[in-house]
Parts: sequence; C-alpha cells; structure tokens
Amino acid sequence: MRRILAIARKDFLHIIRDKRMLGVILIMPLVQLFLYAYALSFDIKHLPTAVLDLDRTTYSRQYVDALQQSNYFDVNKRLVRFDDVDTAFLSNEAKVCVVVGRGFGHDVASGRAGAVQLLVDGSDANSAQLGQAYAGALSRIYGGRILVNQFEAKGFNVASAAGLTSSIRTWYNPEGRSAYYFVPGLIVVLVTMVTTIQTANTLVKEKENGTYEQLIVSPIRRIELMLGKIMPWALIGALDIIIIATIGLVVFRIPFRGSALLLALSSLLYVLCTLGLGLIVSARASSVDTANQLAALISFLPTFMLSGFVFPISNLPVFLQFVSYLYPARYFMSIVRIIFLKGGSFGVLWPNIAALAIFATVIIVAAAALYRERA
Amino acid sequence: MTTSSDTGLAIDARELRRNFGDLVAVDGVSLEIGRGQVFGLVGPDGAGKSTLIRMLTTVLAPTSGDALIFGKSVVTEPHDVKPRIGYMSQQFSLYGDLTVQENLDFFAELRGVTRADIKSRSERLLEFSGLTEFRKRQAQFLSGGMKQKLALAATLISEPDMLFLDEPTTGVDPVSRREFWRIISDLHRQGITVFVATPYMDEADRCDEIAFMTQGKIILRDTPSGMKRRVPGRVIEVVVSDYHEAMTVARALPFVNSVDASGDRLRILVDNETADCEECLRKAFAEAGFDVSQMHPSSTDLEMAFATLIPSAAPAGGFETTADEPVLGVAE
Repeated sequence: MRRILAIARKDFLHIIRDKRMLGVILIMPLVQLFLYAYALSFDIKHLPTAVLDLDRTTYSRQYVDALQQSNYFDVNKRLVRFDDVDTAFLSNEAKVCVVVGRGFGHDVASGRAGAVQLLVDGSDANSAQLGQAYAGALSRIYGGRILVNQFEAKGFNVASAAGLTSSIRTWYNPEGRSAYYFVPGLIVVLVTMVTTIQTANTLVKEKENGTYEQLIVSPIRRIELMLGKIMPWALIGALDIIIIATIGLVVFRIPFRGSALLLALSSLLYVLCTLGLGLIVSARASSVDTANQLAALISFLPTFMLSGFVFPISNLPVFLQFVSYLYPARYFMSIVRIIFLKGGSFGVLWPNIAALAIFATVIIVAAAALYRERA
Repeated sequence: MTTSSDTGLAIDARELRRNFGDLVAVDGVSLEIGRGQVFGLVGPDGAGKSTLIRMLTTVLAPTSGDALIFGKSVVTEPHDVKPRIGYMSQQFSLYGDLTVQENLDFFAELRGVTRADIKSRSERLLEFSGLTEFRKRQAQFLSGGMKQKLALAATLISEPDMLFLDEPTTGVDPVSRREFWRIISDLHRQGITVFVATPYMDEADRCDEIAFMTQGKIILRDTPSGMKRRVPGRVIEVVVSDYHEAMTVARALPFVNSVDASGDRLRILVDNETADCEECLRKAFAEAGFDVSQMHPSSTDLEMAFATLIPSAAPAGGFETTADEPVLGVAE
C-alpha cells in the first residue's frame, strides 16, 4: 500500500508541476464542451425552404402559410418552374422544396386528398431527415384540419366520430433540446479522452526518461504500479466530470433527476476502465507519439460512434452493435443519460453498472499482465 | 537477514547470453565475484557492458544462462534479488520535475524504508553528497555532477548490499568524479559490493579487480597491477616537440608495440628483446627533425594493457582518458 501511495503521490506531483498538462486536463474539456454543444446542435429550426406553388389557390396558400408559421421552415424562395428546384438546392438557397401540385385546392375542396410533393436535399443528412419528418407531420396536421372543417361544414359532430388518433409526446426532453442529450454524452466523451490519453503517456514517459528501469529494479509489484498510476488520474477524471456537469446544469440548464451517488459510483468504475485501457497502451507502446495516437484512436472513435453519443446504437449495423457491447462507453453513456434526464434508481441501472464493474476488473488485470516486468 | 547462501559469492553468473535479434550483445559470460569487492568492468562502447549489468540487475531477461546474486537467481527469483541491490543506469534516471528531497523520498518509499529511516538516511546522504542546500531544488536544475550524486544517493537510500553502477561519472567534471569515487571508497569500507562499468582508466585503477570485456565476452580478469604486469615489454616516456607528428615516426619502428600521447609526452611501449631502444628512438626522432627534450623509463599503465591485451580493441577512440587528470600510471 505504501508503494502504491508513493507512485500516486509522485505522479500527482508530475501533473501539478506541468502547467501545459493542467491546461490540457482542465481547460480543454471546457473548450470542447462549448464547441461541441454549440456546433453539434441538432436543433433544426428555420430550414431554408423553397416553394413551387403550381396550384395558386386559397387552399395552397393556406398550406404554405402553415409551413411558414411552424418556425421550422423559412419559406424564402418562390419558384416558378420545376427546374428551379435543382438550382435552389445547388446554390444552397433551400434544403427543402415543397411542390404543391396543380389541382390541390380543387381536390381538397371536393373532399379528395390533396397531393403535395416534398423534395429534400439529401446531401445534408440531418436537415434532410428532420425536414422530412417535420413536413410530413405538418401535412398530416394540416390535412386533418381540412377534414375537420369539411366534416363540420357538412354537419357532422367530429367529437362524436370514433376514429384512430395518435398523440405523440416526448418525455424527459419535451422541447427536444439537443443540449439535454449532448451535455451528458459529452461528459462520457471528454472524460474518456482525457483519462485514456494521459495514462497512455505515463509509463511510456518513464521508459523514455530512463526512470522505468529504476521502477523495475525496485521490489514493486505490477498491480501496485498500475494502481498507483491510476489513482491521481481517477481524481482528475472525477474533477472533469464535476466541472462539465456543473456547467451543463448552470449554463445549458440540463436537468439532473437521478442520484449523484450512483453517478459517482458508475463514474469511478468507468474511469477505471478508461485508465486501464490507457495503461494497456502505455505498457506496450514504443514511444510517446505512438501512445498518444493509439490512445486517441481507442478512446475517441468508439466513444463517439459506438456509445450512442451521436448515432443511436439501434441504427448501427448489426456487427457494430455487437462490437459496441465490448466497449464500456456504451454502458456509461446510458447510465449518464438516465441519471441526468430520467432519474432512475439502482434497480434500473444495475445491469449497466455491473457491466462497468466487470470491464474495470478485466481491463486492469490485463494491464498489469501486459506490463512487462523487464525492459 | 543471513542465510547459508549469504556466505557465498556476491555474483555468480553462468553462461549469460543475450541476443537482440541477430546481434549477440552478451556472448556467454561466466563471472564469480566475491563479497565486498569493488569490481570494474572495462571495455569499448558496444562491448556489452550495459547489457550485462541490466541482466544482473533483473532489468533485462537473459536469452539463456543465469546469474545468482547473493545466491538468488535473476531469472527465477528476481523478487529476492531486487531488495538487495541498487542500480544506477547510464542515463539519468530520476524525476527532473521532482525536488532532490522528493526524489529521495520516492525511492525510499518504493523500497520500503521506514519513515524514521528515510529522515535520518536522507539527511546523512545529502550531507555526504553535498546536496543539503539543494534539497528543495528540482532535479532537472542540478549540474551534471550533482545529478549523478543525487542518483547515487537515491540508490543508496535503501542501503543495498550490492551496487551496480553503469558508467556513473560519464559527463561529470573531474572534481565531482573524484568526490564520487571518495563516496564509493567509503561504501567499500562499509562492506558493500560494487560492480562498476567504466570507460575511464583511472577509475578502473581504483578497483580491486577488473575485467576486460569486448564483443560480448569477458576476455581477461585480473587486479589492476596484474593487468599492467601482463603487458609485454617496457615503457619509455619521451617529451618531444610536435608530439602528434612524432607519434607516426615512433609507430613506424619495428620494436615499438604501441604509442600513446599523454599530455605533451609520448608513452612508447617497446619490446623486451631490443636492447638499445632508447638509442634507436633518439636517432629516429633526430632524423625526422624532432627535438627530444626528455627521455626516461616509465611503468606500464592500464591504457596500454587495453591497447595490447585486447586484440580487437581500437587503441584510438575506443577508450577515453581524461584530459584533466593525469593517467595514474604516469604519476607513479
């Protein structure tokens, strides 16, 4: 135990004496937090929209007005001919084009379905998807309103008519604010990067400085060295989590509905996983540069892609879905989102927490085994 | 702790071998060294000295063979070897961003020295190495000599029974080198076994015994005076104008075995068979137009021993002498 503490104290001194390192571990996450939170916003409003109204009736104008009033679409371009659609997309003046077909007003007035064509610029996948969904929804709502009007005009009591209605409500994030799922997700991404990359450096640095041989000739056990190296970084990982979470709560006004204790517990387990991964890299890498690149590769990409941070895991190819089970970020991501947005007790979270505990144990034992006792 | 094997050898290496790919760095070294000795390992760069030390200190696993340190195998019982040895590698191996005191504390804690002992020992070691007033300075801001003394102090804080020093004074000024060896002499008196690799002849001369190592093998082992006696022939010391050019002249003579320059004088090793070497030398120098101001017999030194006893060792460049201090053989 004394040897573990000796290593921990020494590494802690390395950290606090290195001003650049302090910047990397405390300031960089903040910069990234603001960068990602603002730049990666998936809140789509005011989509530039072009309208080609071939019908030019009261009904068609009503429909276009409904689009405009929704705030999701900015109708900033009126087209005359169908060929203009291509021009509008190419010049990026519009992401969505709405074509109201000839006879739309007549069809609606005579009780038939009015035809509207929706063209979406697929080169911007996000806007395309959302534009499609919003416009589809608006068309249904508008269509429904027309129906109701018509039925009422014909003397039906709509309220008494039995029919299928579906009402969609978004729980936990009713306004669909992307900060709600981004900020908790960023906690996972940033903590992963800081802890993995920095620990990946520690053993390699000792090798390059020649101090590694002194550690080898001392009677320290491998697992003691590993634990000593992990301790200061676990502290710093915790500090990073607290800082990002606080900013999330104060600046981005995300909710915190779960238990801080459970968050602390799962954070600890997760940080042990990432630190262990860093040590595995460090035990095997031949130079600081290799260690940095390798650590960035194993921390950044999987956390970004395979944790559900950007893409829902269920949207991934089946093969990658399996791979995501092998990476601890997925479990921590779901824990963090549940704790911040939904609340969630230990009874709900325990399978994820148990998975993290298993990963932490396996990874640290593996790191100790891979670290060579000889040069 | 005294076990039955404690009465035996400090080092008992058997056919130690280490390959790096196709390169054979250490080629079957067997070596027995008794306790309490200061043992010097001398050889040109690339001879395998560091590799041998790193195997003896459990840092590097031998490709084959084994070595017992105080009766414990470096291959199968490294954890019994480690607590008893101290190792100072060639590269500065302390933490530059930690202070002198923090470095000492760290290595003491790592090696399980009790808190009370850390305090008393580090005070003594700092005093001993003249670092007391620098204890709060970061190690990276120490001079080369102070760094080496700190490294030695860090190695000594656990009071090992055996010290391995790999070229401990390379790049250190002469005053610090002398101080460093004073410390080693003190340790020697306390009964610590010292195994030191050195490129300096004057340092080799201070050892109880030395071994010549070249191309991965130990080819000769003797006391320093024994080594000198092995040199065939006798030495004539000559002070001559333009000694650099004069070396070429001397080397061309058939009875001359080797020529070294030491300061402004030439040390010429001649064979025993030729009786009138002095006369021949005077004649040769005079004919070539060099003035000889002094000429007298001298004794052989280790420098010569290396030049003549190691077949493949290049006499020029392979070994280093210190320009600042006279080679010991000269002063005698």
